[in-house]
Amino acid sequence: MNRRFRDIAYEGVLHVVRRPLRSLLTALTSAIAIAVTVNVISLSFGFEEDIRSDVDLFGRLTVDVGRLPVLIPGARRPSLGPPEARLIEKKLDGLDAVIVPRRQVAANARADGGDGEQRVSFVAAPPAYLKTLNIPMAAGRWLQDDDPDGVEGEGVCVLDAAAVGLLFPDTDAESDIGRVIEVDVAGTKRRHRVIGVLEDPLRYRELFDAFDEGRGSRTLTSSLLSFRNVYVPETALGDGQFTGISIAMPSEDALEEARRRLLTVWSVDAGDPKSLLTGGVGVFVRKDWMDALAVSTRQGTLLGNLVWVIIVIVAVIMISTLNLITVRERYDEVALRRCEGARRRDVALQITTEGVLMSLVGGLAGLPIGYAGAALLRHIVDFPFRFEFKYAAAATGVAILLGLFASVLPARHAARLQPARVLGRRLR
Amino acid sequence: MAETVQTPSGSDVETAIAVLDEAGRTYGGSSVAVEALKPTNLTVARGDLVAVMGPSGSGKSTLLHVLGCLDRPTTGRYLLDGRDVSHFADRELAAVRNNTIGFVFQRFHLLRDETAQRNVELPLLYAGIARPERRKRAAEALASVGLAERVTHYPGKLSGGEQQRVALARALVKRPALLLADEPTGNLDTAAGHRVLEIIEEENRGGTTVILITHDPEVSARARRRLTMRDGVLTEET
Repeated sequence: MNRRFRDIAYEGVLHVVRRPLRSLLTALTSAIAIAVTVNVISLSFGFEEDIRSDVDLFGRLTVDVGRLPVLIPGARRPSLGPPEARLIEKKLDGLDAVIVPRRQVAANARADGGDGEQRVSFVAAPPAYLKTLNIPMAAGRWLQDDDPDGVEGEGVCVLDAAAVGLLFPDTDAESDIGRVIEVDVAGTKRRHRVIGVLEDPLRYRELFDAFDEGRGSRTLTSSLLSFRNVYVPETALGDGQFTGISIAMPSEDALEEARRRLLTVWSVDAGDPKSLLTGGVGVFVRKDWMDALAVSTRQGTLLGNLVWVIIVIVAVIMISTLNLITVRERYDEVALRRCEGARRRDVALQITTEGVLMSLVGGLAGLPIGYAGAALLRHIVDFPFRFEFKYAAAATGVAILLGLFASVLPARHAARLQPARVLGRRLR
Repeated sequence: MAETVQTPSGSDVETAIAVLDEAGRTYGGSSVAVEALKPTNLTVARGDLVAVMGPSGSGKSTLLHVLGCLDRPTTGRYLLDGRDVSHFADRELAAVRNNTIGFVFQRFHLLRDETAQRNVELPLLYAGIARPERRKRAAEALASVGLAERVTHYPGKLSGGEQQRVALARALVKRPALLLADEPTGNLDTAAGHRVLEIIEEENRGGTTVILITHDPEVSARARRRLTMRDGVLTEET
């Protein structure tokens, strides 16, 4: 930076310091805008990132092979049993795939001694099933090979967070271990002791529930993530057809290769509407719906960010007006500086420096105000604000841009001032 | 027919500091054009002390603006220090004002929020001079106008005479070839006015060309050359 440039910018800094009231007004406007900006960014982007990472817990690298609904009367349901599982194993040879078939039925369950039955999914899965998910245990342990299945006598079970919420709404995960649930599976009563509880992958479940309650319908995300599963040993539902076969892949490349190979066996694309008419077996890659969900979440985030964009635009207009008034009050000064050798760009540089500095100072003051406001809101409505350095940095960038945009007109106006006209009018 | 005003010493255009060659200034469009300065020929020799008198609205300020490169002539040419500045770009005119011309105004035009020293530093700032050197030269300039003890004072704490001397120090700190003073004593009492004129005369004796605009015949009488402006026409007093 050359000395002239630096010294003229410093003139701008001095002017800001020496006009504290006007500078304060401008900075305050910027502070409010940046406080809102950091609030909205923390909420929207934080929310989006959380949702994406939550969704990824459901096994981003997992492929599901399952039977599609048959909508044509009389059509035969395709087979999905041990032969198909062996076929998959053969097809995916060399890819380090973990192939996990499961059987699943809808069932009514209630806590032992509790009243009121809840609708749950009764999932008979082998120990390896946990590898198709990335959800950690909140308490207890996952299923093992020698666990009793509950067909005769008491069995064991692992509950997901949604099922825990229904069956044991008022206790924590640790105290749920060892409790017993009664499950009605196709008219047969079974008892299963809880040996493990999965963590809740949906960290904003309460927010979604509150949102769903108000709307009278479930959001896409909460529907997808609220499985209400009761996991039991794989022999608990006999040896019939599988509901689905989940395949955990070790990497994105392996996942794509698995998709390619499986589609040579079952050419039905699960996303194709025609497949719903014909039935058949579909290949369903979880990453696909996770990405689709990410796109829709991003759209929601961008829409939410319009709030701060609009407020920043209003702030630009307000600060621009304040700066214009300041410039009009400084005609004599500008004319004098021009007489003494200031070029138009020197004047513009000084005015711009003043605008950016005031906006930046206001913006930096707005950051803690914004975070304090977010903390207060979180306390009141439990909004998922995320406080991260990158959001503060982004808001600081917005403050600089705000100052720059708000200085364009005043700087241009001051730079185009004709000193002869000013001096001619005010010389005497 | 343009009025021609030559230097009394007969110096030619080559050695003159300022030459107006049929230079005129018209404001407004063709339907409401105001010819503030009619096409004028004027040659000002280096080291001259020229007073321009005339009633309000006669075109004195327009002449000053053209001579000070604050405005361009709409007709003719203006040669300053041997260069035709009539068609200079804004950037070049700013450089000319910074390097060649010093301005003194009736109302001093000091920056209220800056000390006397910082006011005097202003032209040096736009000349790209380093701050320590600016401070040193500003202090020297203030000392040369008798204000060595006032360097840290703000304009509001100075008398009118002192403020005008600060303005003079600011105009002279770069040792300009041409000093343009518009009613420099107009807002001052007699004693302060005399002090300011003494400084201007002293500077003129040191070689600086001075063009004074004044209503005051006493001030005008101290100039070596007197011009009168009336209805945009410049004439030489004999």
